[in-house]
Amino acid sequence: MKDLSQAKLEDFRERLNLCLNCAACFYRGPIVPHNWRELPPPEWQSPLKKCPSFEHYQFRSHTALGRLTLAALVWQKKFPITDDLIKILYTCTGCDMCNEICQTFLPLYSILALREEVVERGVALPEPLPEMNTNIKELHNIFGRKSKAKWFEKLPIEGDDVYFAGCYANYRLPKIAKATVAILKAAGVNVASLGDEEKCCGFVTRWSGNRVLANKLAQQNVEAMKKTGAKRVILSCAHGYHMWKNDYPRYVGALPFEVVHVTEFFLKLLEEGKIVLKNSLEGKITYHDPCFLGRHSKVYEQPRKVLKSIPGVELVEMERNGKWSYCCGAGAKITLNCYPDFASATSKERLLEARAVADTVVTACPTCFDHMKNVSGSENMELKFYEFPILVAEAMGINF
Amino acid sequence: MELVKAFEKIVGQDRVTTSDAICQSYSYSCFLGMNWVTKPDMVVIAETPDQISRILRVANRHGAPVTPRGAVGQGGHGGPLEGGILLDFTPMEKIILIDVENMKTIAEAGCSFFKLSQELFKRGLMLPTAEYGPGPSVAASAITPVNAFGKTRYGRNIDLVEGFEVVLPTGEIIRVGSMAYADSDFGPFYRYITGPDLVGLFTQANGAFGIVTKVAYRCLKTPKHWAFHSYYWPLEKMEQVKKVLLEGTALEMFDVHVNDRWKYAGLEYVKMMPQLPEDCHFIVYFTVNSDNEAELKAKVKTVEDLCKEHEGTYLPGIAESFFAFWPTFFCPVSNPIAATMAKVVLDVTEGNFMYIYDSLTYPTSWFPEVYTKLMEIGKKYGIWGKPRYTVYDGFAMKSQVICSQTWAFVNYNDPHWVEQIKNCRDEFREWYGKRGGVFQSMLPPLTPDYTWTNQPGAYELLRTIKRALDPNNILSPGSF
Repeated sequence: MKDLSQAKLEDFRERLNLCLNCAACFYRGPIVPHNWRELPPPEWQSPLKKCPSFEHYQFRSHTALGRLTLAALVWQKKFPITDDLIKILYTCTGCDMCNEICQTFLPLYSILALREEVVERGVALPEPLPEMNTNIKELHNIFGRKSKAKWFEKLPIEGDDVYFAGCYANYRLPKIAKATVAILKAAGVNVASLGDEEKCCGFVTRWSGNRVLANKLAQQNVEAMKKTGAKRVILSCAHGYHMWKNDYPRYVGALPFEVVHVTEFFLKLLEEGKIVLKNSLEGKITYHDPCFLGRHSKVYEQPRKVLKSIPGVELVEMERNGKWSYCCGAGAKITLNCYPDFASATSKERLLEARAVADTVVTACPTCFDHMKNVSGSENMELKFYEFPILVAEAMGINF
Repeated sequence: MELVKAFEKIVGQDRVTTSDAICQSYSYSCFLGMNWVTKPDMVVIAETPDQISRILRVANRHGAPVTPRGAVGQGGHGGPLEGGILLDFTPMEKIILIDVENMKTIAEAGCSFFKLSQELFKRGLMLPTAEYGPGPSVAASAITPVNAFGKTRYGRNIDLVEGFEVVLPTGEIIRVGSMAYADSDFGPFYRYITGPDLVGLFTQANGAFGIVTKVAYRCLKTPKHWAFHSYYWPLEKMEQVKKVLLEGTALEMFDVHVNDRWKYAGLEYVKMMPQLPEDCHFIVYFTVNSDNEAELKAKVKTVEDLCKEHEGTYLPGIAESFFAFWPTFFCPVSNPIAATMAKVVLDVTEGNFMYIYDSLTYPTSWFPEVYTKLMEIGKKYGIWGKPRYTVYDGFAMKSQVICSQTWAFVNYNDPHWVEQIKNCRDEFREWYGKRGGVFQSMLPPLTPDYTWTNQPGAYELLRTIKRALDPNNILSPGSF
């Protein structure tokens, strides 16, 4: 069957009508009942609250089912693309919970397809997406910065292992890049980078609905990467990882190198004895699964295994974790930038869940980290935050 | 604007909208091939009976129609027939009471049936039926004539409803049946309190007589032991199938279900199950249960004897692997049938599927005649058998009544097939309606006229009651 992740609205022609309207994608309550003899298996024990935008905006329109309905009507030319529709469409966080629940009809992809329809029709996107996309196109980063933060010494531009830092680590949170490179070097990895050739991965472009530009960025980045001779591309950004790992091959075909996230690679290095976690870190730590590393890419266990290996760490789980983890609110950077109130409210809910079990939150996505930390600060949550590589570097006793 | 402001005062600004896009999202029922698109003019989210009471008082003053709606699901439409105010119940989802000793439960109207059912199950109780999906609420399951597996011995959900809290169109909050006693020391102990059964006034009423805000159900104890077996018959043995259905119901088996082989066309196609025997046309499934193994064995023996007596052949594997997991198995999101249906639809028929008849209800003794007629008309309009896989799906219910549905794999974006299905429906309706047949999936005007013309006296009384309770006809207008 067709790969719906890249499908256009017309590809959902039949699927839109096939939706069983069951409401599992958003409704509070179990997604499967008991059978006559037993409760559902653990993998189907879904959380009570599932869809962040439904929980915030409350109307059916702000659910996968509601958006699917609107997508069907737009496709049938029975409903125009209005400002209201745009807001409904772009307040989807892209967290993939609905796809996790409804693996039969994968409603999130129809939302993405409708976003692409919006772009194709030339309808104005919510602010500041036009500016962000212009920044990506012209300055190769989402922030519109002209130069990268000074985050590490110049790395070789050729090598087997190439670190792709991404916009957040390059421009806003350089400590993540510094820590990542320091860990890799300490583990004996001869790490290279694209240097000035590193361009935005196109994640925001893709989730804005601009497939053409996202495709172009993929081509450029992959071509640049090929020139380094990379055998492995290492990413610390969950969004970038999702693009490289899942979307790039769909755009440009099979990649001639492996794509790994630091959570995966650090575990490998740990198991090979190349990383030694010697410094004890006290406290109860909980791990927030970034949507694009977890549900979208199915990386759940690797970060947990690394964290459990740190002396003194008591790793505790939030009520919603793993495949049922709740979005931090940043919503593929779209809701964070376009609908900050919604993003903050969702984050607050997630942070309250974290605070109920832990004093420290670790995540492996710079966007989740930055957003949750900011909201925690403004809400006086008294939680400590770590980005995954920074915590690992501290546990290794590395100064960076 | 006056209405909007009045409602905002009641429920808050963020729970009232006239946004076209938001209202439109409540308009569409994707399923059943009906393509119903009816947009409300306004959506109001309510959370308490008091809010609903105040909303209805305001709506009454303005003569504004109000249609209640939960999450809905599967075949449900759940929208207005035309414009008006849609009252969204999704926040009303609390379970108020689970009384294990007296086997009673109360939940808010918008509580999902799955949620209530699962919480009961954890406490050793059960409701025998479950909806096809997580959306349908406990109220929707009571105010519409829903059907599912598990009805042969206990009947439909409405047979288990014992009480309602209802907001009348005038805004008055009343409690009927066991709910009248809900706050007393005895609790909601019995449906049949003094006087006529007023619970029945609101079951299957589509919310037209009042808006249900709480539902009390009586529960069953969950039996410890279960068995699931299926037998098959060739097409020419319809009479024998009828006898088995009647006798299985008379013996109060927990569930007896019948379908024809086309139900498995998708599973066979994707090789999820072996090819059915050539001579297998009808498959009857028996679910029996007991609190002890000896009794269960005896019940299984009864099934075996019954089927042997009526020339059935044991068909291992199907009921054991399918009905055993109902309803968990049959939930759309985890349901291989849904997935394979999609695959068959997309790969084989390059189309979609349409319900031809949903929830036809008739005496079980008429099974051969109804099936023969469906087959005759289906053949005439080119939808019977391959490649349209027209499926017959029948639920034997207590009182020797069967409820069946029929769907076919056709592309309902293709005007030719839409016309064929329409012709099919029209021709069958004439035959069926003249014999007293009841279409129960929805109330008119979504169902054919025969629904009312077959019960003229009752219909007039219902209209009289409607006028008395709702003189301005604001609740679910068009239902009566």
